[in-house]
Amino acid sequence: MITTDPYAFATLVAEQIVKGLGIVTLPIDPKGIARGRGIDVVAKPMENEGVSGMLVRYDSEFAIAYATHHQNEGFENFSVAHELGHYFLPGHVDAVIAGDTGSHASRAGYSSGDKYEAEADRFAAGFLMPRHLFFPALEKAGSGLAAIENLAALCKTSLHATAIRYTQCTRDPVAIVISRGGIIDHCFMSEAIKNVDGINWLRKREGLPRNTTTSAFNKVPTNVLHGVRIEETSNLQHWFGGRRSIEISEDVVGLGRYGKTLTVLYDIDVPDPEDEEGEQSLMESWTPHFRR
Amino acid sequence: MNLSTPPSAVFPDRLRRAREYRGLNQAELAQKAGMQPSAISHFETGTRKPSFDNLRILADSLDVTTDYLLGRVEEFKALAGADRLHRHYESLDGSDRKMADELITMLAKRAEEKGKP
Repeated sequence: MITTDPYAFATLVAEQIVKGLGIVTLPIDPKGIARGRGIDVVAKPMENEGVSGMLVRYDSEFAIAYATHHQNEGFENFSVAHELGHYFLPGHVDAVIAGDTGSHASRAGYSSGDKYEAEADRFAAGFLMPRHLFFPALEKAGSGLAAIENLAALCKTSLHATAIRYTQCTRDPVAIVISRGGIIDHCFMSEAIKNVDGINWLRKREGLPRNTTTSAFNKVPTNVLHGVRIEETSNLQHWFGGRRSIEISEDVVGLGRYGKTLTVLYDIDVPDPEDEEGEQSLMESWTPHFRR
Repeated sequence: MNLSTPPSAVFPDRLRRAREYRGLNQAELAQKAGMQPSAISHFETGTRKPSFDNLRILADSLDVTTDYLLGRVEEFKALAGADRLHRHYESLDGSDRKMADELITMLAKRAEEKGKP
């Protein structure tokens, strides 16, 4: 199955910039790169939650302010890289500069702001985790949550952003689920798992499957706040329905002040359709058929 | 500029006007700006929209302000002023807005110092 990603170009732009800068090792330092471009980078005071980042311009002079209240270097790097997305992506001048009246709100309806935000997010992921550096790291990172933790430490990115990038880049059937309470906040599935026949795709805003480790985990709020981490097994059917009862791995970690839970579903060893067909006909051949 | 006209729609004509005024052909401007020769043609026909990074480099190469290239002022070296300069300004809370204002003031000072002969 071929899926088209409307924001893939934003990732490509970011990766080309990193390559163009001659960077050959992780982590990428978005603050340093911005400063090298003559852009001021300023931390917002801790007590000021507000927006995660903003790009400020006066003619050809630029500054980026980023939030620090999460006390998470990965979150800060993503915020700065997101604002660099608005700076480097073609067409974002239309999103950032208001119209003639001076009121940004007056332009509501002109164009979806979400499109620009989604592009800047995809830029940030590609900028901090460019494929030419992320792929080799991914090969050595292991599997499941441990792989995501290793990659996050290497890239100085948040577990959340790294987990999403992991599903975009891995060749394995993997899904990550971000949940809060009993609800799936959002989820990402790797191409390999999207291509598995006979399973239901996970959908955001759906309820968490009840008989899963994640569902039980989220019933204890301190698990999330204290960043509790567990590695368990689960069943493909519990998460994805279908007719195959296959054991899979389910790693779960609380994301602390972010208030959400990250679940990684992996070790999903689905038999080849041809093997399954062969097995089915073998079973058929051994099943006694009685004449009525 | 009409409210419904996005800045990137004004840009192709402004770029061409500034380039011609400076007596440069597209290839010469591309070389000066360190861009591919085809980039200027794409910008001037509107098939490629600029980024802020592109704007900065082109404005510098043509000795005009980015505000001119975006159609926010009518003269090559004019500045548009300090308001309405960033995304979601209207919806920022008090402390964010204060910080944005302070940053704008700092950037404005720097821009004006650079503009002095």
